[in-house]
Amino acid sequence: MECGRHFNIEILTRTELLDIQGRPGNFRVSLRRYPRYVDIKRCIACGACADKCPQVVPETTKNLGSRKAIYLEHPQAVPLKYQIDPLSCLKLTENSCGLCEELCPTQAINFEEREEVLEYEVGAVILAPGLKPFDPSRVGLWGWQSPDVLTALEFEYLLAQSTRTNTPLRRPSTGNPVKNIAFLQCVGSRDLNHCDHPYCSTVCCMFAIKEALLARQRNARLEISIFYTDMRAYGKDFERYYQEASEKKGIRFVRSRLHAVEFCPQRKKLRLHYVNIEGRQVEEWYDMVVLAVGLEVPPDIIELAHRLGLRLTANNFAATSAFKPVDTSKPGIFVCGAFSGPKDIAQAVTEGSAAAAAVAEILAPVRPARQVSQNQLPQTIQGDQKPRIGVFLCHCGNNISSVIDLEALLTYAQGLADVVWAEKHLFLCSQEAQKRLQEVIRDKGLNRVVIGACSPRTHEFLFRRALREAGINQYLLEMANLRHHVAWVHPQFKEETTQKAKDLIAMAVAKVRCQEVLYPLEVPVMKRALVLGGGVAGMECALSLARQGFEVFLVEKSASLGGNARHLSYTWTYENVQYHLLKLRKEVEKNPLIKIFLRAEVVKVAGHIGEFATTISSHGRRKTIRHAVGIIAIGGGMYRPFGEYGYGEYEEVFTSLEFDTVRAAGDFRVKRARNFVFIQCVGSREPGRLYCSKVCCTHSIQTAIDLKKEDPSRRVYILYRDIRTYGEREILYQKARKLGVVFINYDLHGTPKVSKSSRGLCIEVWDHILHRPLEINTDVLVLATAIVPNPKVRELASLYSLAVDSHGFFLEAHSKMRPVDFLTDGLFMAGLSHYPMPLEESVAQAKAAAARAATILAKDTVSLDPVVATVDLARCDGCALCLDVCPYKAISPLEIEEGDSRVKKIQIDKVRCKGCGICQAICPQECIAVANFTLTQLRAQIRAALSGEL
Amino acid sequence: MLEVRINELAEEFGVHRNTIRNWIKAGILPAQKGPGRRYLLKWADYVALCERFGKRPRRLPETAKEEESKKSPYRLLPPSTPLYPDPSWADICLTCGACASACPISGVDGLDPRKVVRMAALGMDEELINSDWAWKCSLCAKCEESCPMKVEIVQLICRIRSLRPRDKIPGPLVRGITTCLEKGNNLGIPKEDFLALLKYLARELAEECPGFEVPIDVHGARLLVTINSKEPFAEPESLKYWWKIFYAVKESWTISSEYWEGVNWGFFSGNEEAMRAIVGRLVDNLHRLNCEALLLPESGHAYLATRLVLEQWFPEALNKFKIYSVFDLLMEYLNKGLLVLDAKRHPGLTTYHDSCNYGRRSLKILGRGYFEEGRIITQLCCPDFVDMQPNRNGNYCCGAGGGAWSSPYKAERIFHGRIKARQIKETQAKRVIVTCHQCRDQIKFFLNKEYELGVEVKYLWELVADSLVFDPS
Repeated sequence: MECGRHFNIEILTRTELLDIQGRPGNFRVSLRRYPRYVDIKRCIACGACADKCPQVVPETTKNLGSRKAIYLEHPQAVPLKYQIDPLSCLKLTENSCGLCEELCPTQAINFEEREEVLEYEVGAVILAPGLKPFDPSRVGLWGWQSPDVLTALEFEYLLAQSTRTNTPLRRPSTGNPVKNIAFLQCVGSRDLNHCDHPYCSTVCCMFAIKEALLARQRNARLEISIFYTDMRAYGKDFERYYQEASEKKGIRFVRSRLHAVEFCPQRKKLRLHYVNIEGRQVEEWYDMVVLAVGLEVPPDIIELAHRLGLRLTANNFAATSAFKPVDTSKPGIFVCGAFSGPKDIAQAVTEGSAAAAAVAEILAPVRPARQVSQNQLPQTIQGDQKPRIGVFLCHCGNNISSVIDLEALLTYAQGLADVVWAEKHLFLCSQEAQKRLQEVIRDKGLNRVVIGACSPRTHEFLFRRALREAGINQYLLEMANLRHHVAWVHPQFKEETTQKAKDLIAMAVAKVRCQEVLYPLEVPVMKRALVLGGGVAGMECALSLARQGFEVFLVEKSASLGGNARHLSYTWTYENVQYHLLKLRKEVEKNPLIKIFLRAEVVKVAGHIGEFATTISSHGRRKTIRHAVGIIAIGGGMYRPFGEYGYGEYEEVFTSLEFDTVRAAGDFRVKRARNFVFIQCVGSREPGRLYCSKVCCTHSIQTAIDLKKEDPSRRVYILYRDIRTYGEREILYQKARKLGVVFINYDLHGTPKVSKSSRGLCIEVWDHILHRPLEINTDVLVLATAIVPNPKVRELASLYSLAVDSHGFFLEAHSKMRPVDFLTDGLFMAGLSHYPMPLEESVAQAKAAAARAATILAKDTVSLDPVVATVDLARCDGCALCLDVCPYKAISPLEIEEGDSRVKKIQIDKVRCKGCGICQAICPQECIAVANFTLTQLRAQIRAALSGEL
Repeated sequence: MLEVRINELAEEFGVHRNTIRNWIKAGILPAQKGPGRRYLLKWADYVALCERFGKRPRRLPETAKEEESKKSPYRLLPPSTPLYPDPSWADICLTCGACASACPISGVDGLDPRKVVRMAALGMDEELINSDWAWKCSLCAKCEESCPMKVEIVQLICRIRSLRPRDKIPGPLVRGITTCLEKGNNLGIPKEDFLALLKYLARELAEECPGFEVPIDVHGARLLVTINSKEPFAEPESLKYWWKIFYAVKESWTISSEYWEGVNWGFFSGNEEAMRAIVGRLVDNLHRLNCEALLLPESGHAYLATRLVLEQWFPEALNKFKIYSVFDLLMEYLNKGLLVLDAKRHPGLTTYHDSCNYGRRSLKILGRGYFEEGRIITQLCCPDFVDMQPNRNGNYCCGAGGGAWSSPYKAERIFHGRIKARQIKETQAKRVIVTCHQCRDQIKFFLNKEYELGVEVKYLWELVADSLVFDPS
């Protein structure tokens, strides 16, 4: 939606990329646009066409029902326009029908549209084609042919249907309510036999848990079992979600991979036959089975990549470097999302921003010239005159008019006080109607407008623009949602709905009458950024901003740049970390726009977005930096497990990073050693630290592979709980097993015991398959310890008023949609202070934070929504109840002199305030008001609603 | 003591009531008759039975707590020479459990395919070689079919079998191989008796098919046909099915008077020398009698084993002679229009059992599995057809493959067959068509009785012979 209305974005749907010619900064792309047969400028998505279209097309996905030949791809489609399926449309296939053309009230249907090739000149290209779910019908044994066996996506449709209609989940085969469901994990992932997918699809474990919990919400007595191989809850808060699902929400997790789903015709149920973890046979019966299908690259995307000459990985994902996670092998062509490897929403969104940063870096020189911004019109007519209200009603085709008696409503509206004009239109959002609206405002001298149509969520911006263009303040507008709140929800009660519509219009008129003129808050922007932390994340972020032409202050606590990456030798794809680190450091040091402060720490913070003032202390001297935005990338640390597994007691016990160091140094304890044992999850996924450190499985496996490669006669054992080599890292796990590394799961029978005897270290652990104790004599024990948050996180959090999660990592504004933003405007995060992550994800976050920061730095002023709270100091008694409830920390105490005494009051930071209204609700003095949601306005509205008259 | 009803136990173990009664009769389950059709058994015996067939005891007395703490640790010391030559035989295992879930005898003797692979990977070779489990396994490869990592489980089990001291191999298998090597066939039938029997049978058949004679040692015949010694020994009548077909299509064929056995038990015991010797004799026969082609109409393993040995040791013979499976030959006759089949002689619902060796294993090893041919032919004779679920590549084994038929582990073999029996029951078919001698005997004589299936079991060629429309004149 935001994309759809952005001034700098043009959306081309039903279009595919044919070819890219030229070089970065100057590409010529050719696109093929397939005909939609509907003019999107005219289509107003009324649905009259689809209502009457005689051609019903069943959807291929189970539970999606059917659509017509003219249809909306989905209800939230952007642009929200209909399209015609040329393969099923009667007019296009047999030259008959053509009913939609006759019916369309805006003459949007155009059967003459033809496929066309478009050419565009662009500076850079971002590919985000995504993946497609694996098709389980390829393997008969998984039973997808049975109607009760669904893919996870199909199950979501079924769930949505059940939620929408508020009916119980029913079995597609019999229509009886579902009593129990089994989820089968790894269908089409981690499988070389039934498909050639050696990789892990990364997201299926979590979506299975999510769907299971959603299903339990529909029916609390539903029994759900999830059959899995390794539960890969590696992301931020995933582990807690998993543990809660298992321990508190009653989802049963079974560690067993099922070979088949068999439908029994006599019982009409699905039989699952498996061995449980103890090796005993179990037979269970289910009403429904959900296949948690994996992801794969669609064939047309592979073809496109070949056409463009992009390098792909062995599994056809776009090949990228850990240090350039959004760069393809072709300069100027970038990639984000699952095409470069399966990933979840948060990571894909992060990469989306990172790709934007990468593009901004190469397009920086032309950015100011080519950017289109909203033009500001003078607003001549003000709101403080006597109210002259205009009411505009919309038929919305027959969406509204078929339910509500608009004639009656119009007459009613004309009778309301201060309403000087009222009229109705077939479609208020159409271009003609918008023009008419502006004329009426001017001709009739209106200074306030009520729109009776649809939701402000989708259309307020459009009507605000009309007001602006007609020359009145855009906040003197009120919308009554006749479509979503009235016509669509209870079409069966015609009379009552008209009455309700009248009430809504009366309320809107009552409110708009006392609406005030508001102006956007303009905050000037200092064109400078502050980056805290000189690790890879901090440096990448600083560099990206500098490349975009912004001045950056890079503050590092220690004496040199590099952070945790200094301890790593290579990434999971075997790229040399030290080489890249050196290059990065040199580039940062060389860049004239970056000022580096070493041995420096933040001591004081003031200001807000656009103009922060951060005081740092460096070499004993204090310096205040003024900056518009801040990026916090202060990294994390390593957990030292003193007292666990003989750490600190026996000299053969190391943490992973310590082991890397002694091994690299050629220590005799490693050189001489024949036997190596790794213990995973030391300090992770434990009470108090209930999170997965994400990188340790891959790291230990890589070390094990190295040890085995150096000398195949060595014996290497990895003791683990779940191996979490997500994505293509799974191939490393496979390689390690192939080399003879032995993996033993200690989740079932308890943690390994370490003792020392004359033969050396002795590890006792139970085998998860044989269920008997094993004794391993080892020369070296490596503990894969947790990544812990930097203790400075809490300190900075209180200085900048930032949120911190229960483990001490920074909390983002929204875990999926705003993964690198703080709730406080103008501040962003990257790297390990957010959550444990591998290098390429750190770099992606750094670039994403840079892109987010640049959206502010690129402007001279930030304009903020004026719908914020203000306090009437005269009545404020300083009780400070509002202080605690404010989620944005926008309210602070204030002491002012009143006569000769000092009294306590509060002040509200207009920049931080988001206008949520909690303070207004709690204030016992009624002295806080959110602009245009004042108590006077709300009371007027309520009075209007209760009286039905004014 | 524990008081149980037969049907409760049958349900618990997924077998038929008859199976439980047989277990009690055979002493596998020591139980006394109690009051009112109930049986009394000792807790220990109940738990032992669960152990033997891989079930988790449903009820456990307080006293029968697991003795976990008493288990002494096994010191991991992998042997210097590994049991297997390639990591794809065990190391690559993901321990996901798909194989064990698919295996019908998982848990029997406390083992399953996953445990076998695990023990091999951990170097517990001796324990594996001494265990009987590898011999109870029917080498059906259902485990391999489900394995996401393509672990060579069946090869591993064959290797484990081959490493067993020869004097510890199940008796009947050893005797079969020895007899075959010494006397030319598994049952040691003397040449004179064999020839006399064939002539007698030929005379009988000639009453129906005028002029029929059994072609013994006919030089220059196109097709050499082998025989399973079980047939002349126990079921001579069943030899006539093929003969009748050959008669109808006017095939030029012959039987060798010596070394006519096609069954190859060396395949089961991991005895490569025996395998090679037995196939070598067939090749000699082909040369001696100057034949063009060989038909192996016995069990699925005979075809697979012979093909494998030919590929490995007699590639020139494979080039020179055409090797027919029963499907190839029947399909050839059909395609040439030589067979006219009457679809009305076999009314009633019919199902088809995929032999593991002809299907799944041939597909994997030879790159070509026989799935559709059998169904085409069956449906030509029995139009009222239903498939078992799952079928083809995913089919369950009858329980008698891999030498299990000839091994002394009858209880396990019947237990294994419970899934096949269930599959057949679920189709509600009245007739099962099979293509392998072991499958046929297991279903016809054991599963039918034990699980009260009440189905007619026919060889595919028996069905064809009985449906043949031909004019004897």
